[in-house]
Amino acid sequence: MFKFTTRTLRLALKRNYTTSASGNLPVTNALKGWREKLKDAGVEDTDFNLKCIVSHVLKKKFNTVPDDFAQLEFNSSQLSDFERFLEARCARMPLQHIIGEWDFMDITLKTAPTVFIPRPETEEFVRLVIENYKNDKQVNMLEVGCGSGAMSLSILHRLPFVDAIAIERSKAATALAWENAKLLGLQERFKVYNHTMEEDKYMPDELKDKKYDLIISNPPYVKTEEFQFLHPEVVVYENLNALDGGSDGLRVARLVFELACRYLRSGGKLWLELGNEHPPLVKTIMNLKYQGRLKFVDSYYDQYKRERFVQIEKV
Amino acid sequence: MFLRHLRNIRLHGFSRRWASSSSDPLSIRNEKLQSYLESLRQEYYALRVNAAGNSKSYARLSQLEGVVNALEQRRVLERNLTSQKDLEQEKDEDMRQLMEEENQVYTDLLAKQEQTMLQELLTLADDEVYPSLLFGVNSGAGGQEAMLFAQELYEMYTSYFEHMDWDYEEFARETTDIGGLRHANILINDQDAYNWLRYEAGVHRVQRVPATEKSGRIHTSTASITVIPKPADVQVHTAEKDLRIETKRASGAGGQHVNTTDSAVRIVHLPTGLAVEAQSERSQLKNREVALKRLQARLVQQQLESSEATHLATKKAQQGSLNRNEKIRTYNFVQDRITDHRIQNGTLHNLNGFLQGGEQLSGLIEKLQLEQRKARLVEMLEAWQPPKEDVANSQKS
Repeated sequence: MFKFTTRTLRLALKRNYTTSASGNLPVTNALKGWREKLKDAGVEDTDFNLKCIVSHVLKKKFNTVPDDFAQLEFNSSQLSDFERFLEARCARMPLQHIIGEWDFMDITLKTAPTVFIPRPETEEFVRLVIENYKNDKQVNMLEVGCGSGAMSLSILHRLPFVDAIAIERSKAATALAWENAKLLGLQERFKVYNHTMEEDKYMPDELKDKKYDLIISNPPYVKTEEFQFLHPEVVVYENLNALDGGSDGLRVARLVFELACRYLRSGGKLWLELGNEHPPLVKTIMNLKYQGRLKFVDSYYDQYKRERFVQIEKV
Repeated sequence: MFLRHLRNIRLHGFSRRWASSSSDPLSIRNEKLQSYLESLRQEYYALRVNAAGNSKSYARLSQLEGVVNALEQRRVLERNLTSQKDLEQEKDEDMRQLMEEENQVYTDLLAKQEQTMLQELLTLADDEVYPSLLFGVNSGAGGQEAMLFAQELYEMYTSYFEHMDWDYEEFARETTDIGGLRHANILINDQDAYNWLRYEAGVHRVQRVPATEKSGRIHTSTASITVIPKPADVQVHTAEKDLRIETKRASGAGGQHVNTTDSAVRIVHLPTGLAVEAQSERSQLKNREVALKRLQARLVQQQLESSEATHLATKKAQQGSLNRNEKIRTYNFVQDRITDHRIQNGTLHNLNGFLQGGEQLSGLIEKLQLEQRKARLVEMLEAWQPPKEDVANSQKS
């Protein structure tokens, strides 16, 4: 105990920190200077970033940590974790990768490098889907490209009468989605297949005869020309396969339309989260190319008032 | 048939002798209590016949059911007792011993049944039901030390809410930089909460050497607890068109293009201009839900604090259960004791355990609740007059 205390104390003295009586360092002291460093590195929402990392280092639930960090202290190993994580954040590593988990709707998901991190807008998308299905009795759902499993698992968590199947092209994401399903106790109603959707083979063999009431997808929709404008967190740390939507951003969405023609039951719905300019474009495509097969139902706005979500019906 | 009738009369005389020996108004021997119980029984059966379709009658019925059931069971037990006279007349010694043993068993059962009945009767004293309430913690006299104490009370009560498994929502809280609390407001959504927490309202006093004190002197500081019940008819409506929901992200592309977390949410209620913020969760949608709940709690508070509600609060204060200025409890750290000034034997020890807000606090509140219910039941009995004509009427119909 004595040894430990002197070591922490020396460490703190070296850094010009003031330690408390217990030899630990008050969090408020450890924070000094980091706010500015984060800002200089271009990180927005610095206070929120700091609080996320502090609660992660202290292994406390985010919502139990007070905003002013009153009475909280780091021991020496926590302090070194804290500094390591903040250096990473200054290098623009996504916050969600640093802390290894993220909250989405009512659930907490594990995150992994290379697997796409769900965005706040996707919560709004999922909320809309849940609103539309909350009074149903039985829904067979398919998700195309589930990533960490955020959309399917949060819907399963909220609506007990839904069964979900997901396909995902990345092996790492497939494994992560399955792990998340097990962590949340949803593995009975969730299945994920590692499968790449292609023109002559939309679904894996074992699922080729099954039909669905609902298909959801947040396909890659970033236009190739937009890649230069992406944030460093996205370009450097995220799997660009999960973003690349080709020249007009709808390359993968077009494959999903074809898949929906074949695998939705008549009257079944396809819900998509897309980019800013896409819904009118999708409406045109439906009218021109899918007459008698798919019908554009409506488009919806995200919480930032951008028209981003569409609902399509199988005729 | 005749014999049975005779025995009933004898028993009646027997219990009357019992009654005259007791002056406790809540003893079953008390005649007034007996006739009160009988009137409840009459009311219950009259209601059962006439209640059809009337929700008020049904509410009263379910309120009375427990007492009347307990009363009926007690009467059945009573009938099984063999009277003293019968015992004396019995010639067979073995037989008489058997009767006496049997009587002993029934007397024990009767005592237990009376306890149950009293419990049921006491719940009748809780005449008010509120679906939710506003709970407030405010630091009082004593500066920083009072604020530190307010924070401790705040933690004690929130643990207690968890302990009771109540749904609650904190919607306003102001803290100080040394870990104290100026005030906090919490909305509790549970219809049992008012009947437990009403006895916590008042001034709580702490006596100790404060952490902020250099020379080791003992200080006395206070914090107060307020409990404002929310009647079922106080409702707030937050239509979507009345809300402006703001998040931090201003412009630029969204979705897959960026990876910002922007979880903080601010909601403005346009008709009142009231604004609330939430950033206690990592998920933006969760924060929106939290903010909306807070907004609703604020609006409820505004409404309750309006003139109509003040009238209500005054009425409560007159009843003595909500007096804001009454010093109700002392927390003495030097002697490691808690003393509640409203009841006899109101002193407990193990202050730290008490501040955990678990069994100890719960036990004290239960004790207070029992005392207050008894007092109110006695009041009710004193005010009660046997409704002779009513009884006659209901028997006729």
